[in-house]
Amino acid sequence: MRYYETIYIVDPNLENAILEKTMTEIGQELEKTKAKIINHRDWGKKRLAYQVENQKYGSFILLQFEIKELSKMKDFDSWLKLNSLVLRHMTVSLDQKPEKYVDKSIVSEDNDADLPLDSNDKKVDDEKKIDPETTETNKEK
Amino acid sequence: MAFQNKRKFCYFKENGIVDIDYKDVKLLRRFVNDQGKIMPRRITGTSAKMHRKLVRAIKRSRSIALMPYVENNLD
Repeated sequence: MRYYETIYIVDPNLENAILEKTMTEIGQELEKTKAKIINHRDWGKKRLAYQVENQKYGSFILLQFEIKELSKMKDFDSWLKLNSLVLRHMTVSLDQKPEKYVDKSIVSEDNDADLPLDSNDKKVDDEKKIDPETTETNKEK
Repeated sequence: MAFQNKRKFCYFKENGIVDIDYKDVKLLRRFVNDQGKIMPRRITGTSAKMHRKLVRAIKRSRSIALMPYVENNLD
């Protein structure tokens, strides 16, 4: 069992819906070769170092997977080559098992969720502080 | 310039980098001159083992258009 990584460049002007559709199509095509997809994510739109099919920019997509039968990879490779939406692609073997990519936006949401709790605690503290004062004022009265 | 220090050292051994990722363009850019040529080992001070890995990473990132094959900065 070996791990591989395919990186491919897609036309940057595609709408999100079409981009996701092509991504799922490519994922399905890869699964035909009995590969297990570990990561399949958008790496973002980047400026290309040189023009590829008259495009200055491209959105890069990373696809990491494990596969048993290498002979079937040839079909996937030629299929990607024929796909008109994919400007360029490259498959590289990995030394180690790739870690599952965790979206950072989810982590930041967790942090946001923590913040209100802290503020609540502060409110409680404030109330505690207020309480003795009120009691004191009551005593004075 | 980045390599004007008197003492030469292997950047990767110093920083404990074992594998060089072809996607790390910011790192690879340090070992390429203005024209996009790979700098020789005698100038960068990279160890032979890491230089081989570095060359492979740079060539990979060239083929996927992350780094240029040629860049014309000669004025």
